[in-house]
Amino acid sequence: MSTVTVDGVEVEMEAGATLLDAAKAAGRWVPTLCFDERQAPFGACRVCLVGLADSPKPVPACTTPCRDGMEVETEQPAARRVAGAVVELALSELPGRPAAGTELARVAERLDVTEPRWPGAVHERRGDLRHPYLALQHELCISCGRCVRACDEVQGAFALTATGRGFEANIAAGLDAGFEDSTCVSCGACADTCPTDAITEIGLLPQLSEE
Amino acid sequence: MAAVTTTCGYCGVGCRLEALADGDRIVSISPALDGPANEGHTCIKGRFAHGFTRSPDRLRTPLIREDGELRPASWEQALERIVSELGRIKTAHGPDAIAGLASSRATNEDCYAMQRLMRAAIGTNNIDNCSRVCHSPTSFALRRSFGLSGATGSFTDIDRAEVALMIGVNPTQGHPVVGARIKQAALRGCRLITIDPRRIELADYGAIHLSPRAGTNAAVVLGLCHVIRRDGLVDQEFIAARTEGYESLAELLENCTPEATEEITGIPAADLEAAAHLYGEAASASLLWGLGVTEHKYGSEVVQLLCNLAMMTGKVGKPGSALLPLRGQNNVQGSSDMGALPDVYTSYRPVDDDEVAASFEAEWGVPLSRRKGLTIPQMFDAAIAGELKAMYVFGEDVAQTDPDTAHVAAALENLEFLVCQEIFENETTGFADVVLPASSFLEKEGTFTNAERRFQAVEAAIPPPGEARTDFEIIGEVSRRLGHEMGWESPWDALDEIARLTPQYGGVSRKRLGRDGLQWPVREDGTDSPILYDASFDRPGGRGHFAALPYKAPGDSADEEFPLILVTGRVLQHYNAGTMTRRTANVDLVDRDRLEIHPDDAARLWIGDGDRVSVRSRVGHIEIEAQVNTQIEPGHVFTSFHFPETRTNLLVGQSSDVNTSCPEYKVVAVDVRPFSENPSFEPALGTAG
Repeated sequence: MSTVTVDGVEVEMEAGATLLDAAKAAGRWVPTLCFDERQAPFGACRVCLVGLADSPKPVPACTTPCRDGMEVETEQPAARRVAGAVVELALSELPGRPAAGTELARVAERLDVTEPRWPGAVHERRGDLRHPYLALQHELCISCGRCVRACDEVQGAFALTATGRGFEANIAAGLDAGFEDSTCVSCGACADTCPTDAITEIGLLPQLSEE
Repeated sequence: MAAVTTTCGYCGVGCRLEALADGDRIVSISPALDGPANEGHTCIKGRFAHGFTRSPDRLRTPLIREDGELRPASWEQALERIVSELGRIKTAHGPDAIAGLASSRATNEDCYAMQRLMRAAIGTNNIDNCSRVCHSPTSFALRRSFGLSGATGSFTDIDRAEVALMIGVNPTQGHPVVGARIKQAALRGCRLITIDPRRIELADYGAIHLSPRAGTNAAVVLGLCHVIRRDGLVDQEFIAARTEGYESLAELLENCTPEATEEITGIPAADLEAAAHLYGEAASASLLWGLGVTEHKYGSEVVQLLCNLAMMTGKVGKPGSALLPLRGQNNVQGSSDMGALPDVYTSYRPVDDDEVAASFEAEWGVPLSRRKGLTIPQMFDAAIAGELKAMYVFGEDVAQTDPDTAHVAAALENLEFLVCQEIFENETTGFADVVLPASSFLEKEGTFTNAERRFQAVEAAIPPPGEARTDFEIIGEVSRRLGHEMGWESPWDALDEIARLTPQYGGVSRKRLGRDGLQWPVREDGTDSPILYDASFDRPGGRGHFAALPYKAPGDSADEEFPLILVTGRVLQHYNAGTMTRRTANVDLVDRDRLEIHPDDAARLWIGDGDRVSVRSRVGHIEIEAQVNTQIEPGHVFTSFHFPETRTNLLVGQSSDVNTSCPEYKVVAVDVRPFSENPSFEPALGTAG
């Protein structure tokens, strides 16, 4: 057990708990993009940064274990500035605004990220509608890795892979031959966790375009 | 748009789902993050296969047969026909000339209402449900060995087990969310033992796979027990303190050596020994089984032998050491718990127990029969003999799913009156005089009980289509018109009655179910039971019972005329008779049943992948497409039974479990021949010399 203070609220945490758990226990919101409670913490997106007393830099809440006496500031200006910039960078590569209701759109809104300051290359639309239920919209992928981890850690089908680097980073089903020609078992865990609708249900696509 | 949290109506895992609807259509379904059995996950069926609810061929009005044809009718006409025909038959031939079937896909409250309809409104114990043909042997055996008819633990025990032994079950196909859970456990270090004539997917993640000849499970389990005893892996303390009858089992085990086991099962003696050590030496180990254990002539005995295995190693009633029968349909557990069985009331209390019967008589205000009713196979026999005149079949396509299709058809043909309560026309409604349009799981409320004995709430996401009504409403209305008013406003009143009349479920109520459900037994104060038998068994004296049951040969076996053994089962994308999944885009992924055959057998028979083949058994004959693969052991063939055009069950005979008459679907001797005009197989000329 450890006692952690989050924004002045003291919480008792079990061994193994993270600062994100502590923030939740204290009723404080911390933005996340690559986090899903069904998966092991990944710490890739840097959106969950929080300030920590006596720490020179903000730390990612999802992968930092609680230690007795830690003092966390969720809205520390430096942490929020980095988180906002990360989200802004993600938005700057998309061909349009993220669909309302997606996790990315909600996080952007709460962090007050609207129009990205950096114009430049955006992803070209590349859809894959071959599967009867699952749609891939590659241009919306922000490489958070959640779908790949859902496929590995929740289902165990190992059908999705992270591909490419930098701007080209994306995901592929199987050897990019689509879900049907992969080890996919159509469980939909990837669509469930995707924060941007890069993988979504085909049945929901008309709805998305209406909005 | 409106969202409800409900419970999945496919397999017995009991995933909690969030169903989003727009008016009368389901928009999407996602898993509830806090679902106790699914923890934020679900499968292709639960998540995607909901389109059947608004399939154009859903039954939307009642149908009645006139001049040999089923034609649309009003509810008034349909109900009047039912009441007058059932009334006439009851007067002329007595109440036992009528029988009803409840459905393991329906809610507890639907099933409870159905057994009350038969018992109180008609006056017969002729009520059964489709668990007869799947897990009745499990229920029988668990009651004999331990006391209660349910899993001894929960799915979370899989996460805590050092070893998981799976026999006759293919969770990644039949119970995908539990399959995924087992796979994740294996990836974290849980060691798997898989026992099946098919090399199931989980075998690739396991420590050891045993492939017994179909029908020899008893010999396998006895062999495991022999090694455990021989090598000193028994828990003497547990046996002495908690059980009875070990001595006679020990005597029987004497001759069940690995060598003798190899002779019967074909499993190499060293593999059997390794598996026994793995299980016996683990600090915690869980046992999982499915219909590959139960659907045999001695299926109920094999479940008793599995109970022996757990008891002699003290691996029951502890975290991580659970016996988990994986139930095929969403409410296999509940439909039987609710007394939709010919010999028992709720919670498996015998119909000839005066005190129990009297409590129902007091509640329902009618005298009740103390005579046991007919099981499903007995119903068909009685119909053919002309003793059973009418059946009311609710949510079961017996003409597709029960064994020996020709026998079932003859029985249905011979009835004077048949009512089907269904969501689609099917093989059975073809024989019906009245068809009532009913509701799917997304259109009703009540409770299901999953394979962990967990009562979970079901909420309606959409209304039934057209004039269709909920099953609960329909059964209540039929009962009322037959002169027995059940007096319930909603299924929740029925649940209260169930709790009031059943001590095991005493503390169950809609309010207490909450989001997590309740695992029975549930005490009056609402305390439920994730683990059974932590201190004592639910038998006289509190002791578990060792059954000394020797291996006996299955009801069918290969011979010169029928040299291969057919095993049947499910595939991931479809569900049983396929009524629901065939009406969704799941058919874009799998659109037919296929016969899996080993390359050695295929080559010998000149059969190529994709060829049409004829399959002949002692009782029937079908044609099907061959799929050549190494998953199946040589000497066996495998097929699913999801597509009615395959008519797989024409091949299955009358052989059934000795204690519960569950059909022997898993051992059918067959002859397979190529049937193609253009066989893709090109036989190679043998090399001379």
